[in-house]
Amino acid sequence: MKAFFTMLKNEIKLSLRDMNMVIFAVLMPLAVLAVLGIIYKSKPAFDGADYTFAEQSFGALCAISGCAGGLMGLPITVSELRERKILKRYRVTPMSPVLLLAAELAVFMLYALVSMLTLLAATAIFWSFPIHGSAAAFIGSWLLTLVSTLSIGLLVGGIAKNTKQAGVIASILYFPMLIFSGTTLPIEVMPEVMRKIVGVFPLTQGIELMKATSLNAPMENIWLPIAVMAFVTVVCSTLSVIFFKWE
Amino acid sequence: MNEAIKVNGLKKSYRGKTALNGLDLSVKEGTVFGLLGANGAGKSTSIECILGTKQADDGSVSVLGCDPVKDRRKLFENVGVQFQECDYPNEIKVWELCEETACLYKAPADWKQLCERFGIGDKLNRYVKNLSGGERQRLFIVLALIPDPKLVFLDELTTGLDARARRGVWKTLEELKKQGLTIFLTSHFMDEVEALCDEICILKKGNAVFCGTVEQAKKQCGCDNFEDAYLMLSDEEDIA
Repeated sequence: MKAFFTMLKNEIKLSLRDMNMVIFAVLMPLAVLAVLGIIYKSKPAFDGADYTFAEQSFGALCAISGCAGGLMGLPITVSELRERKILKRYRVTPMSPVLLLAAELAVFMLYALVSMLTLLAATAIFWSFPIHGSAAAFIGSWLLTLVSTLSIGLLVGGIAKNTKQAGVIASILYFPMLIFSGTTLPIEVMPEVMRKIVGVFPLTQGIELMKATSLNAPMENIWLPIAVMAFVTVVCSTLSVIFFKWE
Repeated sequence: MNEAIKVNGLKKSYRGKTALNGLDLSVKEGTVFGLLGANGAGKSTSIECILGTKQADDGSVSVLGCDPVKDRRKLFENVGVQFQECDYPNEIKVWELCEETACLYKAPADWKQLCERFGIGDKLNRYVKNLSGGERQRLFIVLALIPDPKLVFLDELTTGLDARARRGVWKTLEELKKQGLTIFLTSHFMDEVEALCDEICILKKGNAVFCGTVEQAKKQCGCDNFEDAYLMLSDEEDIA
């Protein structure tokens, strides 16, 4: 355990030095919140809604950090560890390289946690406390969305040939999901057809679930998003365990 | 004297191209063993098969009485390895890399002392990427010694060092050997091999063409100079 925390401490330091994740996983969600605040001010989400547009967006904004970490940060980090032969070096020590990967996963989960807490604080200060329903249900849906996104990233990083390829695949996954699954561009402003199309993204399902749990709003089929994300998590984790390239 | 490394009939080929063709090796505890050969002769493949990071096609390997694949966790508490390639994160500092390496072992050596001993004690706060070639090479030797190992693998240990630093490293390795450390090294510097190695093995296209002491090699070739003997044995003269 001591080894894990030493590695975690070091990986956090390295990641902070790099600044990429600070910008994309912590500052960017706050920036999007600020933009939504400027546009919608304290307007209710729709006529007669008892929550503001900003509160409605809280769940979606919480997904941005996991998206940046899971779909962009993690694949590139993992392929870099392999390309720089760091995973190989761990194979000639008593520790398993899996421990290092676990530390990396923990780093991205911490970013997502920090992002969620800063968004929560900002929304609570400028509007009102955004979690209307059960906090446990919200945290559960947040965690499931995060874990399923990270599992996609682990798979991409595990099987990509090199850092360049990982970067390309990461971009293909990251930008469409970031823009169209309702994280930055609120799904409420999209036309009906487009909403149907983006519904296939697992992240869209996660955001719908987080929105429902945070707003305590009724949801037609609560098991669909849970099933989709659980399926993505199981499939991606299994595939990365089987096909992970250590060298 | 016990054997630290025992290799029998090691074979490895990549896509039909033979890299190792039935290598036999034996390294006694407390000695310095040099694996020599031109680039592409099979040195790195040998080391990787001995360490278990590459799976040999055939043959057996025993390191400190352990199977390097099955007994990995136990074995690598006592084995330090320095690979040729860079294998550290880009933005890491010297002390952080030492600390992260030390945390992997149950009973690591004092890495601050090791850094002092290898003359990089005042560089702990520097980024690894900003070290000079020689400083970085000495750091890699420190990293290989952090496990407080019984056996250490040093792949091209003094490449990039200036003459004085090279002598310094030799002296320290001699001291460590006196304390009972077994050293397995590869090198392209024959003066270094002559100064350090108790026994050598010369590889040529995946075959061991000579195994024995430096003196035996010189005698076998009728040369006074070990480098001449090495070139004769490894047939590098044809190329030159």
